[in-house]
Amino acid sequence: MVKLPIPGSVTFRLALGFGTMTLLSLALLSGMFYLGTVGTLERGIDHKLEMTSLNLGQRAEIEGSLAIQEEIQRLLDDGVDTDTEVYQLTAADGRPLSGNLDSIPADLSPGVLSDRTVQRAGRVSTSRLLLRTLRGGEHLVVGRDLEDLRNIRGLVLQALGLGGAGAAFLAIGGALLFRRLIEQRLAAIRRTAARIGAGDLGWRVPAPRHNDEFSRLSADINIMLDRIQTLMDGVRDVSNAIAHDMRTPLGRIRARLDQSLRSSPGDAPALAEAARDAITGIDDLVGLLQRLLEIAEVEAGGRRHKMEPVPLSPLLQDLAELYDALAEHRGIALSLVIEGEPTAKGDRDLLAMAAVNLLDNACKYAGEGARITLSAREQAGWIALAVTDDGPGIPASQRREVLKRFTRLDSSRHQPGNGLGLALVEAVVRIHGGLLELDHAGGPASRPGLTVRLQLPKAI
Amino acid sequence: MRCLIIEDDRGTAHYIQTGLTEAGHETVLAETGKDGMHLAGQDDWDAIILDRLLPDGPDGMTILSSLREAGKQTPVLILSALAALDERVRGLRSGADDYLTKPFAIEELLARLEALGRRAASSREDPYELTVADLKLDLRSRRVERAGKLISVQPREFRLLEYLVRHQDQVVTRTMLLEGVWDYNFDPQTGVIDVQISRLRQKIDKDHGMQLIHTVRGVGYMLSSHG
Repeated sequence: MVKLPIPGSVTFRLALGFGTMTLLSLALLSGMFYLGTVGTLERGIDHKLEMTSLNLGQRAEIEGSLAIQEEIQRLLDDGVDTDTEVYQLTAADGRPLSGNLDSIPADLSPGVLSDRTVQRAGRVSTSRLLLRTLRGGEHLVVGRDLEDLRNIRGLVLQALGLGGAGAAFLAIGGALLFRRLIEQRLAAIRRTAARIGAGDLGWRVPAPRHNDEFSRLSADINIMLDRIQTLMDGVRDVSNAIAHDMRTPLGRIRARLDQSLRSSPGDAPALAEAARDAITGIDDLVGLLQRLLEIAEVEAGGRRHKMEPVPLSPLLQDLAELYDALAEHRGIALSLVIEGEPTAKGDRDLLAMAAVNLLDNACKYAGEGARITLSAREQAGWIALAVTDDGPGIPASQRREVLKRFTRLDSSRHQPGNGLGLALVEAVVRIHGGLLELDHAGGPASRPGLTVRLQLPKAI
Repeated sequence: MRCLIIEDDRGTAHYIQTGLTEAGHETVLAETGKDGMHLAGQDDWDAIILDRLLPDGPDGMTILSSLREAGKQTPVLILSALAALDERVRGLRSGADDYLTKPFAIEELLARLEALGRRAASSREDPYELTVADLKLDLRSRRVERAGKLISVQPREFRLLEYLVRHQDQVVTRTMLLEGVWDYNFDPQTGVIDVQISRLRQKIDKDHGMQLIHTVRGVGYMLSSHG
């Protein structure tokens, strides 16, 4: 068997299937039409022949063959259907008695309708014939000329053929057009994919004119590409920042160890001191890595975090209690303000982690004697969780900057930290589909304070 | 304690063995998953320190689950470089008693190991009252008394104190306290735990001759009546 090569194309197969279905239904329709016209005519003829043959046969039994001879003559002479009627009666010995056939075909079997080429009144034509043997041994042939039926059949077939060819042409043409249209739409997406694949992440699928499945797909792909690009940029930034932020302490640790080995090879206390310093430095680096991992985990794990109703009151109370002692120790007044029963939809651990980071920041940067407020309330269908302090604040121009990883403002360089706290908070807020907002807290220009507000989805 | 260490990294294994031996524990080392699986099921260990990624044979999680399937309740501490919260949760759900990430300080490992050994042995105590010297904790009314005098503590402070008392004469680290008392698996940057402890110490130890809460430098804290 020859296997047809089918190209690996969905549109081709769709078009092929569509065309085949159209042609099949057309064939079915044509068949029904043919049976309904030509078939009906043929069945009518057969029925009439059988009835006439039966009638004449019965009359011959009752009235004798002579009556039949006269009847045949009468039928042939009555001017009705004369040019299509075929009757022939021959005696048992083959002698013609009456009728319009030159001779009865020898191979005709009694009782079976069959088409034969006969000579009728000297003219050759095709007729349908039915042979009956009468009691006296006479042979009676009743028949009908098929000339007109053949003409009708030819006409019907011709019409069907022409119509079918036209329809097939349309079906194939339509299928090809359909294929081309789809391929054109897909080509735009494929071109973009190829560019992206080649590393040009800035490319996007062109915005289409219609709002159909393909444009929605294009839009979805573009959103996905935006997200990928953000992530890629993030990875690049982080790699750079890691390279910088890890190299510096690593270099310091290395230098310290190297130096103490060189300058005091036998001085055990000095070596031990250097080793202790190195361990502290490495622990800081491990902490940094852990924090990066937490951010990565939050950002990567959209589906893994189970979002459930988190009543904020007990959570924040817990945290306020945890920081209470620290605040007291530093002369900071920490207060908790909960309005109503705010319940966020989120991940308890992540929300706690975010709040802890904000409290850490506030305690660190607002300084001794500051006032810090941890608050939560429902606001316009959202849950607002905020940490407000009356410290030096962050200038409006730098608020966007501090959300990036490893950003440390000059004013905070003397404080311990790794510049990852707010980046982590931002990641947590994003995974919740919320908003993070930094604002001044309304203090005087010298100490405007800072409000960090998380807008979180409300639990229903 | 008799401890089985299943760890393929020679340096880490040596570090653990030295530390444990110095603290007076007995150790046996398995360097492959196959040996680890064999030894873990063979003996009654007081604790097993289990690395997750092992060469040659089953990995740590497989060893752990087959141990638990065999009905052995040996305390298992997973020691792994897989530090993500998900991994941690997976380890603990699979039947580990504690999860410590690499790199780690030997003091932290020792403290946690001893807490595990204690946990296995501590079911015979009075369920409603804990006492250390003249300090008394009533677990039902959540009241604290020292030398017969009532001390008022906040709920979290009570839990912190309870944790310390339950682990008396044993070093507890800051991360152990964060996990055990606050149920947080992350590390606040500022020294919140230190300040919590110092406030608790103010309430418990102030004006008393005997200090109960001790600072173990560079490691954590210990509640003890032995000075």
